[in-house]
Amino acid sequence: MRKGILEYCVLLIISRGEIYASDIIAELKSAKLLVVEGTLYPLLTRLKNNGLLNYNWVESTGGPPRKYYTLTPDGVSILSQLDGTWQELSFAIAQSKESKKN
Amino acid sequence: MKKTLNINIGNSIIHIEEDACELLNTYLIEVKQHFGKSADDFEIVSDIENRIAEMFTEMLHTQQKQVIELADVQVVIELMGSVKDFENESAEEEPEPYRNAHSSGFGERKIFRDTEEAMAAGVCAGLSHYLRMDVSILRIIAVMTVFLGGSGLIAYLILWVSIPRAVTRAEKMAMKGEAFNLQGFKRNFEEEMSNLKDSFRNAGDHMRPFVKESGTFVTEFAEVLGTFVRTAGKTILKFIAIVIMISASMALISALISVAALLGFWDSSTTEIFPLNIVDKAYFSTFVIAALFVVIIPLFSLILLSIRVAFNSRSINKMFSYALLLLWICALSVAIFYTAKISTEFKEDAEFTQNVPLKAYPLYTLSIDRSRFFSREDSLRYQLSAKEYTGRIIQDDKSGPFKAPRNVSIRIEKSEGALPSLTESYSSQGINFETALYHAKNIHYDFTQKDSVLKFSPQLHLMKNVNWRNQQVKLVLRVPVGVKLNIDRDLDRYLQGYSLWDCGDEEHREEPYQAIMTAEGLKCIFDQ
Repeated sequence: MRKGILEYCVLLIISRGEIYASDIIAELKSAKLLVVEGTLYPLLTRLKNNGLLNYNWVESTGGPPRKYYTLTPDGVSILSQLDGTWQELSFAIAQSKESKKN
Repeated sequence: MKKTLNINIGNSIIHIEEDACELLNTYLIEVKQHFGKSADDFEIVSDIENRIAEMFTEMLHTQQKQVIELADVQVVIELMGSVKDFENESAEEEPEPYRNAHSSGFGERKIFRDTEEAMAAGVCAGLSHYLRMDVSILRIIAVMTVFLGGSGLIAYLILWVSIPRAVTRAEKMAMKGEAFNLQGFKRNFEEEMSNLKDSFRNAGDHMRPFVKESGTFVTEFAEVLGTFVRTAGKTILKFIAIVIMISASMALISALISVAALLGFWDSSTTEIFPLNIVDKAYFSTFVIAALFVVIIPLFSLILLSIRVAFNSRSINKMFSYALLLLWICALSVAIFYTAKISTEFKEDAEFTQNVPLKAYPLYTLSIDRSRFFSREDSLRYQLSAKEYTGRIIQDDKSGPFKAPRNVSIRIEKSEGALPSLTESYSSQGINFETALYHAKNIHYDFTQKDSVLKFSPQLHLMKNVNWRNQQVKLVLRVPVGVKLNIDRDLDRYLQGYSLWDCGDEEHREEPYQAIMTAEGLKCIFDQ
C-alpha cells in the first residue's frame, strides 16, 4: 500500500519543478514517508525507465554536478490519472468512515 | 594515531580513516551485489555513491573536521539503509495473487467489458470475469465460432454494443465481483499502480487514455482494431519466432550429430560410403568441419535473431557477430576450395578393355550372382585364410552401405565370329590420365562362367582407400547367331539396349526371359 503512495508522492514533489534527489529525500523524510534513503534511488530509476521522469546534469558550486529530475509529458498524464484515483480512494475512505458513524 | 586514506567517491576526494574505509567498502560491495544485475542498476549504485559523497562533504563541513571516522560511516549507512532494507522493499514489489479474488469475491458480480485485459473490445475478458472462467478458453471458443459461418463474429459485435465498458473503479470492481469496500479499493489502487508500470513499458500505449476519454463507438472501434493488430500481430510474430527457433535448434543439433557420425564416432567406415567416398581421406575431416561451420553459423544466427524477436532481449555483441561472420567466410572459402579440388579429380577419363573368351554352348543362362570372389589384396585385407574358407561362399551384403551409384552395365550383341566372348571395359576419372587409369585398374569385378551359366556380379568393388571417381564397368557379351539365352529377370536392369520387360506375357512372369540371337539382334522367344 505504501508503495504506490510513495511513487505518487515522488511524482507530486517533482511536478512542482526541477528538483535534486537529496531535496526529494529531505521532503519525503519530513513527511515521514521514507525510512532509509537507499530505497529512493531504485524507485527513481524505475520511474525514469518507465518514461515518467527525466533528469539533467546541473553544475553545482563546490561539488560534482548533480542530477535534477523533471516530469516527462507521460509522467504528467500519469500523475493526473493518479490524482483521479486518489480522489476516488479518499472519497471511499470518507464514505466508509461516515457509514461507521451511522 | 590512525592511518587515513584518500578515496574518490562520487567524483569527490574524501579523507577517510582506514577502518571506516573498510566498512564503507564492504557496504558498497554489498550494495553493488544487490543491484548489480543490469546496466540500469549500475546507475542506482552511482546515485547512491554520489549521495554518500555528498553526506560526507556535509559532515566534514558542519563538524569542522578533516577526516571521516568510523562513526560517520555508520551514520551514513544507517541513513542509506542496509541491503536487507532494500530486499524488504523489493519483496513488497511482488504483486500478490489478486486473481484469486474471483473465488473469494464477496460482492455481486455484474457484467462489463474489460478493456484493460482486452484482445479486441474486451468482451471475452468481461465474460470471463462474469462466468469465472479462464479467458483463454473463452477466446478459443470465440475464434472457433467465427469459423462456424461467422456466427461468433455477429454475436461478438452484439455483445460489444450491448455490454457497457467498465470505466469507473466501482464498475471494474463489480465486474470482478470484488466487495465494494476499502479493502477492495486498496487492492485496486495498488493493482493500478503496478499495471501502470507494466503498461508504460510498451511505447505508444500512453496514447490510450486520451483516446478512451473521447469514448465514442467509432473511435473505440478504431482503437480496438489498432490494439488488436498490435497485440495479435506481436503474438503471431513471437509465435513464428519461437517455431523458427525450435526448428533451427533441432537442425543445429542434427547437424552436429551427423558431423560426429561422419567423423566416425560410431562407425569408422563412413568414408567408404557414397557420396562421402568422393572426398579424399587426407582432407575429409577438414572438409566436413568446414561444411559444418558453413551450415551451423547461419542456423545459430537465426536462433539468436528469433530469440531476440520472441523475448525482446538485447542484440548480441557486435564484435561477436563480426567474429561469427568472419568464421563463416573462412569456413565457406575452405569448403569451396576443397569442392573445387574435388571437382578437378573428375577432369580426365581413362578406360581399358579386356577380352574374356567363353566356352561355346548352344544355350546360356545369364544370372546375377551376389557371391563375392576375393582377390589377393582382399584376402590380406579381410585376413582370410584358405583353411577357414575353403568350400564356403561369402555373400555380398545386399543391405550393406551404399558405396556407389549403379556402375555395371551389360550389352548383348551379335558375335562376328563363331565364338562367344565377353569384353569387360573398366573406366574411371581422375585429375590426370595417370590417376584415372590407376583408379580404373583398381576396380574389382566378379564374372564367372560355370559350364553354360554366366554369373554377373551386381556391382563392382573398389579397393580399400580408393575414392569414388565414377568408376564403371561396361560388359559386352557377344554370342553367335542362333544361340539361345535364358536371362534372369534380376538382370533386366543391368541390360542396356534391350528392354525385356515386355518379353513374355502374364503366364511367363516368374520364368527367366528366353531370347535368341538372330541376324537382326536379340529376339524374345515368347513372341515367336
